[in-house]
Amino acid sequence: MSQINSTVVTRNTEQALAQPTDWFTVLVKLSPKLLLLLLVVPVFGGLIGVILPAFGWAPVLNQYNIGLQAFTALWQTAGIGQMIMLSATTGFISTFVAFVITLMILAAFFNSVWLARIQQILSPILVIPHAAAAIAVGFLIAPSGMLARLISPWLTGWDFAPHGIFPHDPYGLSIIVGLTLKELPFLLLMALGALAQPELGKKLRQQHKVALNLGYCPMTAFFKVILPSLYPLLRLPLLAVLAYASSSVEMPLILGPNTPPTLAVAIMHWFNDVDLNLRLKASAGALLQLVVTGGILALWLLAEKAIRAFFSDSLTNGKREYGGAYFQKLTSVITLLVVIFISLALVGLVMWSVAGFWRFPALLPDTLTLLHWQSAVMQMGTPLINTLVIGAITTLLAIILTLLCLESEQMRGKKVSGFISFILYMPLLVPSIAFLFGLVLVQQLAQQSLAELSHQSSNVKTVYINYINVIITHLLFVLPYVFLSLSSSYRQLDQRFAIVAASLGAKPSKVFFKVKLPQLFSAILIAVALGLAISFGQYLPTLLAGGGRISTISTEAVTLANGASRRTSAVYALMQMLLPLLGFILAWLLPKFIYKSAQR
Amino acid sequence: MPVIKFFAIYCGKLNLENLKLNFGEIKLSRLTLLLTVLFTLTLMLTLMLTLSVSAGEVTPSIKSNVKSSIQSNEQAEHWQNIESGGRNQAVFFHAWGGDPQINSYIRWVAQQVKAKYNITLQQVKLTDTSEAVSRVLAEKSANNNSQGSVDLVWINGANFAAMAEHSLLLKNWANKLPNFALTDPDNNPTVTLDFGVPTQGMESPWGQASLSFYYDQLATTNPPQTLDELLAWSQKNPGRFSYPKPPDFLGISFLKYALVVLHQQSDERIKAQLYMPATHSVTQPETSPAASAVTSPAALNNRDLILQPLWDFLDEFHPHLWRKGEYFMQSGVEMRRLVDDTELSLAFTFSAPEVPAAVKRYDLPPSIRSYAMRDGSLSNTHFVGIPYNASHQQSAQLVANFLLSPAAQAYKQQANVWGDRSVLVHAILTKEQQALFQTEQAHPSALAVNSIKMTLSEPHPSWVKAIADGWQARYGVSQ
Amino acid sequence: MQPSLQINNLQLFRQHDLLLSVNEQINGGEILTIMGPSGSGKSSLLNWLTGSLPSAFHTTGEVYLNGNEITNTPAHLRHVGVLYQDALLFSHLSVAGNIAFAMPASNKKQRLEKIDDALEQFGLSGFGDRHPDNLSGGQQARVALLRVLLSEPKAILLDEPFSKLDVQLREDTRQLVFEQIRYHQLPALMVSHDHSDAEAAGGKIITLAG
Repeated sequence: MSQINSTVVTRNTEQALAQPTDWFTVLVKLSPKLLLLLLVVPVFGGLIGVILPAFGWAPVLNQYNIGLQAFTALWQTAGIGQMIMLSATTGFISTFVAFVITLMILAAFFNSVWLARIQQILSPILVIPHAAAAIAVGFLIAPSGMLARLISPWLTGWDFAPHGIFPHDPYGLSIIVGLTLKELPFLLLMALGALAQPELGKKLRQQHKVALNLGYCPMTAFFKVILPSLYPLLRLPLLAVLAYASSSVEMPLILGPNTPPTLAVAIMHWFNDVDLNLRLKASAGALLQLVVTGGILALWLLAEKAIRAFFSDSLTNGKREYGGAYFQKLTSVITLLVVIFISLALVGLVMWSVAGFWRFPALLPDTLTLLHWQSAVMQMGTPLINTLVIGAITTLLAIILTLLCLESEQMRGKKVSGFISFILYMPLLVPSIAFLFGLVLVQQLAQQSLAELSHQSSNVKTVYINYINVIITHLLFVLPYVFLSLSSSYRQLDQRFAIVAASLGAKPSKVFFKVKLPQLFSAILIAVALGLAISFGQYLPTLLAGGGRISTISTEAVTLANGASRRTSAVYALMQMLLPLLGFILAWLLPKFIYKSAQR
Repeated sequence: MPVIKFFAIYCGKLNLENLKLNFGEIKLSRLTLLLTVLFTLTLMLTLMLTLSVSAGEVTPSIKSNVKSSIQSNEQAEHWQNIESGGRNQAVFFHAWGGDPQINSYIRWVAQQVKAKYNITLQQVKLTDTSEAVSRVLAEKSANNNSQGSVDLVWINGANFAAMAEHSLLLKNWANKLPNFALTDPDNNPTVTLDFGVPTQGMESPWGQASLSFYYDQLATTNPPQTLDELLAWSQKNPGRFSYPKPPDFLGISFLKYALVVLHQQSDERIKAQLYMPATHSVTQPETSPAASAVTSPAALNNRDLILQPLWDFLDEFHPHLWRKGEYFMQSGVEMRRLVDDTELSLAFTFSAPEVPAAVKRYDLPPSIRSYAMRDGSLSNTHFVGIPYNASHQQSAQLVANFLLSPAAQAYKQQANVWGDRSVLVHAILTKEQQALFQTEQAHPSALAVNSIKMTLSEPHPSWVKAIADGWQARYGVSQ
Repeated sequence: MQPSLQINNLQLFRQHDLLLSVNEQINGGEILTIMGPSGSGKSSLLNWLTGSLPSAFHTTGEVYLNGNEITNTPAHLRHVGVLYQDALLFSHLSVAGNIAFAMPASNKKQRLEKIDDALEQFGLSGFGDRHPDNLSGGQQARVALLRVLLSEPKAILLDEPFSKLDVQLREDTRQLVFEQIRYHQLPALMVSHDHSDAEAAGGKIITLAG
């Protein structure tokens, strides 16, 4: 046997050496390393760029006193405890509520046509950027918002907006509402995506039927049979949602309190403060944010363990009915409320964007006008072009890199390593506020040394460097989604097509371009639309990496969100929604006209 | 809404784990498809059209009045150098970007300087001017002394004081701008003093502002005319007034108005402290123990002495404010929106013409009326400065000079453009130039001409930080 | 020299378990049939022959095509055609496009004529512009065969090629395929479950153990 083994090894080595080395193969083989580089360097560079200043070492600021001063300053900040609590509770509660509603919808409508319908109604929210969603929610729940107008003055007697606490309530309830509404469709789609996997989905649906035949009520059957298999597939998306919710800035900035704000928002203010020493405090705050986010991730996992331990016995206790009918009704009501809430928010947004005078408590504007659209579109030129150019370049890069990586996966005959999969998720799990500041400092440092190297060419356009920075940072958030979206389609491609094509004499590059890409055409277009949507929605990365010089529709929308005019703000929020929508419409239309010419 | 419905159906098929879409399942009529295509095309076309129109918008070309104001050949030569050197470049104008109207005015300026000098003026929209200050400071500490990213910055007060203190501004240029003479600087100290600090040619005046108030006459018919009346009014109309959270410019301005008014009856010696740097005994002895021994206790610790009346006033005032003074709006513009929402019935602004302009754009109800407080209006001038390390200093000066031109100042003063008061002195302009400033009949919501009877000078800029810090410590964290 | 596909002392391992060993020579026009239960390594044998064996497998032994060793030749340079139970026509291309994809590069007009002739010969005249998904199972199988043949292969591998067709169609298609193999004097290796296939092939039959 040992003899055979040694021959095997030799043979394999020969085979490896005999591989052809055309440009395409080389590119494909390099791509996973490139992917790794593009993700690891910014995230780790950014983290280092935060850790060093937090401990007092910041060459950019001429600070070299290693020590804990920044942490002391952080700890002495008024209301730091409240900031931490606000970040942790809004993140945890919103994720928990979204998760519970997701489960209730899944359980109540599993194997029902309503599941698909609810998914259809909720999924457009997925592509609405957080800022736009926050603006819409803020408009709805404000004392003068649609909700109050609906019941005034006939029910309440309010002739003027009442004294309310929403949005910006000190308990962060507005943030929780906003985040929950954004996370719910995401989690639901993730769960349905997992259930759509051919084998797993079929198996689970059959198991569900078995449980029904054994006399379990549908909801009980879901919780006792489906959930234990489904949950592991939802864990990573859940953790990503938790990490995001506890550290995002758009929602708390637009909907949150300011005495004090959430930790992430405070960090952002410190970083932008005129007093540069506050940057050290901001860095220390970024590390604290990491701890807070890590803490609630740990808390979630702990709660998961506790729940599992607590309910493990009841899985097999034989009880088949826990008031399923009651919960089913409750779920219908909750779902209906969510849908009404979202519809009202959107209707309100559209009306504000075309409203003339619209005094509280009138339900409809007195007059309609296109003035706000006209003046906004006039001012939108540069931000719009920036948004489109940055989105297009970022998405193109992400698609190319993803396709090459997936091709290399097939060339090597095994999936990308677990390490790469982990790294792919990293920008989603590490709070962006924690590494983005560091990244900006590192980029500034690089820019300076670059400027010193090429001192004579003083007209090195810093704008272009800003553009590149923004694109690199966007790539961090676009790549994971594009990869997730393309990989399943790519892996599900029938390998035999490639074998047939190769056996017909097609080179690997021809197989890739002429056989695989056309087959993936619509999947690629959807990945493009998704990538564009993610890039269009980025606020903090654009603001920081662009040094505030690159304005996009998102940065404008957030700047104007708490501004003077609800009408202008509504126009920008709608623009933010329309742009990704256009991408998806194109992704839907193009395959109808391309590669279908032979159909008859 | 076929589009929305399609989108719902469409997205229903979308999920991240398994994005294989089965388009065959989507049954849409050809008509719907056609409509969708048409909608998309129309939207794109509209966008492109509006963009091209805005880019090529025709505006009357402005004749420069450079020649008339140049007095000596030397100066003429200096300016000619700038004119020739500053052409064909980019200028990054860092300016607070929270007001679409102002942004729109800056875009107009960009079109003008493009036509005049082929200068590409790009506004970097700040949410707070301190962002620009910290950027220049960061560049200085990084030894970037000639390739700064900020070419021109809209500035005054504390930010100017900070930049001047750290020598972050180019000196002695503003007074050489040809159009600067039109501000009659010898007889008009407001254009050379920024919150009491001499500008030394580091910044060029751009506009003037006074704190004026406006109210919703459907909500209240007798708005308060003094600070005392404001307190009484708030007690009668709880929750209908507030001010933006410091360090917001407008919020601080309101507090300064209150501070100055509260000291109107104070002893002259105490009142004088308002126009001197704010000091605080805890930090002082460490730096100069010898000096502190000779200064009087009052000057040593004027901060608490001066500010205590303000805190006493606010302690009484806050419970009657919007949201009981537990939450404050982020910015001054948000306050205007809250008036439109009818949450507030009374508000204030540093730019009175903003009010009728907002009513015309439907952003305020037609029942709004403006007025000035009887116990005085806080007044100041705002400027543009050029950082010492700006990449395009000459181009920035060309822009600053254009901002001072009668055409630009007159256009800016128009209520439907921005409505910011001109810094030029009317009397020394030519007849033609004066004609530019004539306006149509005043809007009912506009501040009546000459309604400001008494102006209050801005306290020394160091008080801004003292007020902001003290405020943050007392009211920054709600209990 | 007579065309031949020669498998010399092939031993195929999954990890370190021996899956199968084969030592055979197939001459032009001959069809070697391999039978055996699933998991016996039939598909892996085909993958090894086409040059697309996943890296979880190891092999010793060589394969010669017309006297040239092709053991380590990349898949697309081997000139070994495959027919699967599914026709696997590219649905982004028309019928003619599928065939043109397989043909060696040459003058466009000549190619089109050749495709038309071939389609007519196979009873598919006028099908060139059709979309492959709209063809019947038998028509798809014939297009797939045409596609392989016009790629001018030096050997043909058949992976359960008729198992998805119903009885009558199966016999017709089988006859057509075998005729073509004999006509073009191609060495062929067929993997099948079906004894009637093996008998119709008329060549040597190897039965693998589970």
